[in-house]
Amino acid sequence: MKEAREFIMKCVFILTACVSIAAVVLICIFMFANGIPAIAKIGPLNFLLGEKWKPMNNIFGILPMIVGSIYVTAGAIIIGVPIAFFASVYLAKFCNEKLYKILKPAVELMAGIPSIVYGFFGLVVIVPIMQKLMGGSGKSVLTASILLGIMILPTVIGVAESSIRAVPDSYYEGALALGATRERSVFFAVLPGAKSGILAGVILGIGRAIGETMAVIMVAGNQPVIPGNLAMGVRTLTSNIVMEMGYATDLHREALIATAVVLFVLILIINLCCSALQRRSGQ
Amino acid sequence: MKKTWAVMGTAVAVSAMIFTGCGSSNTTTGTDTTQESENTDTAATDTPAAEDSKGGDFSGLISPISREEGSGTRGAFIELFGIETKDTDGNKIDNTTDTAEITNSTSVMMTTVAGNEYAIGYVSLGSLDDSVKALKIDGAEASVDTVKDGSYKISRPFNIVTKDGLSEVAADFVKYIMSKDGQKVVEDNGYISQGNEGAYEAAGLSGKVTVAGSSSVTPVMEKLAESYKKLNADVEIEVQQNDSTTGVTSAIDGICDIGMASRELKDTETSQGVTATPIALDGIAVIVNKQNPVDELTSDQVMSIFTGETQDWADVQ
Repeated sequence: MKEAREFIMKCVFILTACVSIAAVVLICIFMFANGIPAIAKIGPLNFLLGEKWKPMNNIFGILPMIVGSIYVTAGAIIIGVPIAFFASVYLAKFCNEKLYKILKPAVELMAGIPSIVYGFFGLVVIVPIMQKLMGGSGKSVLTASILLGIMILPTVIGVAESSIRAVPDSYYEGALALGATRERSVFFAVLPGAKSGILAGVILGIGRAIGETMAVIMVAGNQPVIPGNLAMGVRTLTSNIVMEMGYATDLHREALIATAVVLFVLILIINLCCSALQRRSGQ
Repeated sequence: MKKTWAVMGTAVAVSAMIFTGCGSSNTTTGTDTTQESENTDTAATDTPAAEDSKGGDFSGLISPISREEGSGTRGAFIELFGIETKDTDGNKIDNTTDTAEITNSTSVMMTTVAGNEYAIGYVSLGSLDDSVKALKIDGAEASVDTVKDGSYKISRPFNIVTKDGLSEVAADFVKYIMSKDGQKVVEDNGYISQGNEGAYEAAGLSGKVTVAGSSSVTPVMEKLAESYKKLNADVEIEVQQNDSTTGVTSAIDGICDIGMASRELKDTETSQGVTATPIALDGIAVIVNKQNPVDELTSDQVMSIFTGETQDWADVQ
């Protein structure tokens, strides 16, 4: 009787595990089946390295969007990671318990805010400020980077903080015992131990920034050209797909799915980096 | 218990922060508005002079805002203003400047124009409100009346898409849409009627009609369905909102009886056995920020702004 129950539950768990795997496999099949022929039709080089995106004239070059995604993500990392880094060090090592009880849920709340809300916040608050500071329309690489920098904070802080906490206390105490100050022991004894964990957090942040759509679409301007400076508008891979899917037909539609394939491959690479890092930290 | 308090405390603190944030931004907008009204005052006194002598006080880089490629509104806009040209092979080329900001929603378009003194954009006449200023084009104001009498030329059709072998109920609904009563509903909602095939009489049918497609056409279609149901209580009409392409594809595949499209059909679509019937005309308004003293542009000026030839407001006053 007991064994039968065990067996049934085992099957249930295997099934639930299979559902998520099946979803990933189906998504891969759908995207590659639709996207690869389109890339072949347009020509891989024309598609990946073409600088012009004029779907109405059958010119599909997504280089501006690839570059745009990279610029915006890099900007978000430059702005968000230092803040997240020091915030997680503070939360893990310097914060008193009372303040921690307020700060930690606040950071967690940030992760729960829907991205469209961030986008609207960016559109009505950050965009007008940037308009005054830099002139122009206010929708630019910089605006999108600032907004994304804010959005990746909870992801990076969460992972970085727990990896700092995972470093054995003996490192910290040993450094103190050797006569180092509190700050010195945290930054030079504890943090090197948490290095790969913090890096994993940063990579997760990159994944979040590169995949973000709704917030970016509202503040980036979405011009399909390679931006020449920080005040120029930019279009990312994700916004390219969302913006035009509703009206796209024929090859245009397939080209958008092919854009998704490129994005998927990028995110796959990032996730592989992440798991490689985690494996190394596990050893 | 303690944790709950902490969470609630945070929530209160955060919302307090949000509200103070809002408050301060409100006050800034407040001062802005006073500045704005001063500006408009001076602008108002300046405008008559500015109209005669080229180049008034208002100058700055124009930031044009456009819709995404493939959008029905954009398609109509570039065609009507001559932003779209044909090359020697007869292919259509969209000459919208690469630096034009792109958005895929009417609300973002309105918010952006309302917040940027130098912006210029375009929206459907039905979605126009007081937060922005609609420009006169070639001397004609953008309104239902001027679109109807033909003096305001910037308009596009709303199409319904049907396949041969339409069910009896669906055909009756189409008949209603094109009748005098149906077209009155169209007019009442701020669109311009297209044709009039006399009065409609309920045929006492029963059944179900599915309508799907363009989000621009959906609001007026829902009103049409509502008033049709008053006359035909036994008919159920389901209106699904997605987009023009989905509407046409569903009509082709027979997923819905009637598709809605806010653009003309492509050849690849008509070749699959569907026909489009215009049910209404929608005007497209060219909008600018309220602080902008410019009230009127010629269609050539709009074209040169959106193709990137004219870049400064001083050049179009």
